[in-house]
Amino acid sequence: MRIVIAEDDLLLREGVALLLRAEGLDVVATTDGPDTFLAAVDEHRPDVAIVDVRMPPTHTDEGIVAAVEARRRLPGLSVLVLSAYVEQAFATDLLSEGAKRLGYLLKERVGRVEQFLDALHRVADGGTAIDPEVVAQLLTRTRADSALERLSPREREVLALMAEGLGNSTIAERLVVTDGAVHKHIRRIFAKLDLSPTDRVDRRVTAVLRYLDDTRRD
Amino acid sequence: MRTDAGTGADAGSDPGADARSGPGAGAPRPSGGLRHALGRDVRTRGRMCLDALEHLVGGLGTAILALVGLLWVAAVALTCLVGVGLLLVPLTARGVHAVADRERARLSRWGPDVIGPARPPSGTRAVLTDPAVRRQVGWLAAHSTLGLAIGLVGVTLPFSAVRDVTFPLYWRLIPSGDAGYAPEFWAVHDWWGVLSVVLTGLGWIAVFVGFGPGLARLQAWPGRRLLAASHDTDLTLRVAELTATRAAALDAHAVELRRIERSLHDGTQNRLVAVSVLLGAARRAVARDPAAADAVLERAQDAAEQALAELRTVVRGILPPVLADRGLAGALTGLAANCGVPCRAEVDVPGRCAASVEATTYFVVAEALTNVSRHSGARQAAVTVRREGGRLLLRVEDDGHGGADDTRGSGLSGVRRRVEAHDGRLTLTSPPGGPTTLQVELPCGS
Repeated sequence: MRIVIAEDDLLLREGVALLLRAEGLDVVATTDGPDTFLAAVDEHRPDVAIVDVRMPPTHTDEGIVAAVEARRRLPGLSVLVLSAYVEQAFATDLLSEGAKRLGYLLKERVGRVEQFLDALHRVADGGTAIDPEVVAQLLTRTRADSALERLSPREREVLALMAEGLGNSTIAERLVVTDGAVHKHIRRIFAKLDLSPTDRVDRRVTAVLRYLDDTRRD
Repeated sequence: MRTDAGTGADAGSDPGADARSGPGAGAPRPSGGLRHALGRDVRTRGRMCLDALEHLVGGLGTAILALVGLLWVAAVALTCLVGVGLLLVPLTARGVHAVADRERARLSRWGPDVIGPARPPSGTRAVLTDPAVRRQVGWLAAHSTLGLAIGLVGVTLPFSAVRDVTFPLYWRLIPSGDAGYAPEFWAVHDWWGVLSVVLTGLGWIAVFVGFGPGLARLQAWPGRRLLAASHDTDLTLRVAELTATRAAALDAHAVELRRIERSLHDGTQNRLVAVSVLLGAARRAVARDPAAADAVLERAQDAAEQALAELRTVVRGILPPVLADRGLAGALTGLAANCGVPCRAEVDVPGRCAASVEATTYFVVAEALTNVSRHSGARQAAVTVRREGGRLLLRVEDDGHGGADDTRGSGLSGVRRRVEAHDGRLTLTSPPGGPTTLQVELPCGS
């Protein structure tokens, strides 16, 4: 797995690179701004990009813009966005283009190495990794009259874990239930959100997106 | 007649009054309601007279200033006839305004606030047609003549009174006693003469007690009449200016919060995340290669120390703790001592200013000295701060190569915003080749 890192803070950039290299991952370039990042993407054609949201010159959403541009230049690039704080608009901006090969994590998650590597691999393999904090915020801000209200508390829990990008077996592990129980919950979620059983992966993504969309309109 | 509770409250309410009320204060307190009332009257009258004296002396001071101003205005008016003076008109208007500001501040201290008009315009034609300027010049004429005369009388009266009343104490010591000494208009040869001088002194006291407060009011009258902003145009301008600076204050506040948020998120938090990342890496390394883990742990500790240092910087940027500990003078001396080039600090600010003003002053000096160290190439710098009335005047100079420009988005534009938000003024003089002088004027707010 070839990785490019874009992070303007030197210490953090080198820290993440050190951590990933120690895990035997191939960090091909570390960059400190959107322009150098895009140049590195053009040059190295990496599999995964780890991008900080706030970068020079204005320190607002340069990372998001650069990530979207990088994906335009290099379709199939997996992007893991790191942010200092939860900004729902960024999450939904990113996900509106489709949740595949995308991750949005708080920076401090990097310190929990197993979970971070797990998220990184999931994103690299075409999945999604959304920070639990983002999901929790979305969950508390759900509108009362939304379709999500029809879900039971347990089903919302399952949907939240799906939104983080976890697979069925991991969800079962987290909730300490059997795989079968998770399956049943998910089927009921799909039914309540009126998603027909055509393509399982797309349904999952659609459920998550509907969930995010629903909270975004608040 | 006052009740006991009432007199008790009166006796305890104003300790300062006794100290100021002169002769009546030291006398044993008479018993009985009538004498109480009399004593109070004497005290009130005495206090009024001392106040009047203070006002007359202060008025004399501004009257002398006004006289100088009037002479200057006359000189400029004369040179205007040959054309040269026209160049000096805006400067003169500002000078008159400054003198009038003194009088306004003086009057505001002991009566209703005298709110001045906006600063005079900068164009010659605009100055000549500005009604506020004309009113101020009118005041200048009145105060430098009538005000000066009243001030002189007001100061002479108590002086004569003291001289005459104490005459018995020193008339024998006067060497020219044989020829007859005349503190008043007649010669004194014996005790009858001395008595007449003492009585005259008492007469002066009576005159001052009777007319002193009236004289002070008369002296203040032209100022109160002419120096307040006229009711229509001037105040709307002033309101517009205040509205603008208020908006700037809110804006500067938002900018300030944004700055704090940014330095916390992009500085301190990043350091802490780095600590967490390095600790995570170290934990993974412990199992694999303990020697490598130690190196990573050391970096983590470095990062934690950096986080602490950044946090301190952020906190200092909000409200420097050193201000609370050592006051403005100590804080600025500390800044000067830490400056990259030799720097001398002279701070003469009696009392404290509003916390926000002190913080702004500190911020301005810190920013200015950073610029001096980084960009000016100066060999030495100087910081002077002094207080003049309600304003704090700050000056930072260096002998560097100049060329500083606050319009090019440097730290200086932040300084200017912050100063203007406090209704202050910033002037930057930095010709290519130097030297650079930064002058800031801030209302003290206390």
